[in-house]
Amino acid sequence: MRPGPLFALPVAVFLAVGFAMPILIVAWYSLMAPRTFDLTTVFTLANYRAAFTEGYGQPFFWSLGLAALTTLTCLLIAWPTAKVLHAHAGRVATIATALVALPIFVSESVRLFGLSLFLMPGGGIFAGSMRALFGVSIGTILNTKFAVYLGMVYIHLPFMLFPVLLGVALIPPDRVEAARDLGAGRWQVLREIELPLALPGLVIGSLLTFVLCIGANAEAAILGGRAITVVTTAIEQRFNYAQDWPMGAALTMLMIAVTAAVVFPALARVDLNRLIRR
Amino acid sequence: MIRRLGLVWLTALIALMYLPILSVILASLSTSRYMRFPHRQWSTGAYVDAVSQDQTWILHATSFKIAALVAVLSLILATFGAMAFARYDWRGRSWFQKAVVLPIFFPQPVLGLALLLFLTAIGVTPSWRSAVFAHMVWILPIVTLVISIRLFGYDPAQEDAARDLGATRWQTFREVTLPHLAPGMVSGGLFAFLLSWSNLPLSIFTTGADTTLPEYMFTRVATNYAPVISAIAVIATLGSVALGLVLLLALRLRRRS
Repeated sequence: MRPGPLFALPVAVFLAVGFAMPILIVAWYSLMAPRTFDLTTVFTLANYRAAFTEGYGQPFFWSLGLAALTTLTCLLIAWPTAKVLHAHAGRVATIATALVALPIFVSESVRLFGLSLFLMPGGGIFAGSMRALFGVSIGTILNTKFAVYLGMVYIHLPFMLFPVLLGVALIPPDRVEAARDLGAGRWQVLREIELPLALPGLVIGSLLTFVLCIGANAEAAILGGRAITVVTTAIEQRFNYAQDWPMGAALTMLMIAVTAAVVFPALARVDLNRLIRR
Repeated sequence: MIRRLGLVWLTALIALMYLPILSVILASLSTSRYMRFPHRQWSTGAYVDAVSQDQTWILHATSFKIAALVAVLSLILATFGAMAFARYDWRGRSWFQKAVVLPIFFPQPVLGLALLLFLTAIGVTPSWRSAVFAHMVWILPIVTLVISIRLFGYDPAQEDAARDLGATRWQTFREVTLPHLAPGMVSGGLFAFLLSWSNLPLSIFTTGADTTLPEYMFTRVATNYAPVISAIAVIATLGSVALGLVLLLALRLRRRS
């Protein structure tokens, strides 16, 4: 066997068993009769019909909407941040990059837990400090959709920031200068030079953030109270409380389909070799 | 002026990112049953409680077992995978690259659910062992990418030279290729450990009766809060932050060399 395929074999086999097989099993379950636990060869589309008629639109709408909003917000925060980091080569940038990267390694449950402690009404860190320092009592945004949105942005910002940083590094400075010399305004430089050149990083970052957000459920559970039911929670309820595996599997397949519809076209347009090589 | 504005923006952003982490530390410095900040009495009692409870160490042991195994196993598989990803040019390589990247762009809770269903279907009772497997589905691709980055700057002619001088294929791999990969493997291994240590969405569905630290925090936050939970969170985070600093330092040194 030639070395290329030979070296690829262990990872390929592992992913075939650990990634492809589970998805196939879920696909199989999604075609079984509702509330059954066995895999048979009697197929039905009943679960998919139910998925479209029994009010699962709401969770899908919220998850997709929140994911889109979070991705956009992260992009708007990450772009200027990446530009600042890139402009300050040297010690400042190194320390700042390290500080931004570090929270990735702190579990999201700890960070969301911290955010909820901060936002807690009455004796929370923020409300308590406000009362002790200024004598004002303030309400809370905890257990609202806005809190969930805030948590989503907070957790996913680093996943956007680093690809965008790679993207910004793809912009040759002399290109920007040339455009300026030729009389391009700030806005024109951004739209016609910087954004197109940094596009691979922006696409990867947005893709990663969007996909992670579609599946995100911890934010809603810790910060949202009962304000919101996201898709993953709806699916989990089918599996656990309702004991309806085929229904849960059908919803899972729909979610995979939505994800694939976003990921495949975007991934096809980005040359991974080029982005990683830097 | 614009430069100054940029630094202000950066400082504010970083401060906001650490605010929740600071909140956990502040909350842990009390023994009061209810969260009432500012604490009437500041104390480190919660830490004494945390250290003296068996549960703290069971949680740490479970998380550590999983993370260490994930790191070692991913490292071995990913080193081979990276060779196929970036070192050799072969038919089907671009397919392989896309397939390796795919699990990274897959919602983790969904992956966790799918794996739970899969484990149940093949008759495996979920436990910390199955969590190792589950974590690897997501982490192995990432480690493969990290090591691949190292390989893109590699000159394969060195291997040919070694072969010409009479080295066997295995000798060449061990004495030429592997030393070049070593820095990438160090960061890959650290990445794997840290990502596994802090993972919540995959653990929730695949650990069965065993509980990891992030899972414990997740379930206890909502149901019944006590300062000892904050203390455990701080203890669990300290180690990973230290290791994270080592990783960032290693990456930095590598770039310089």
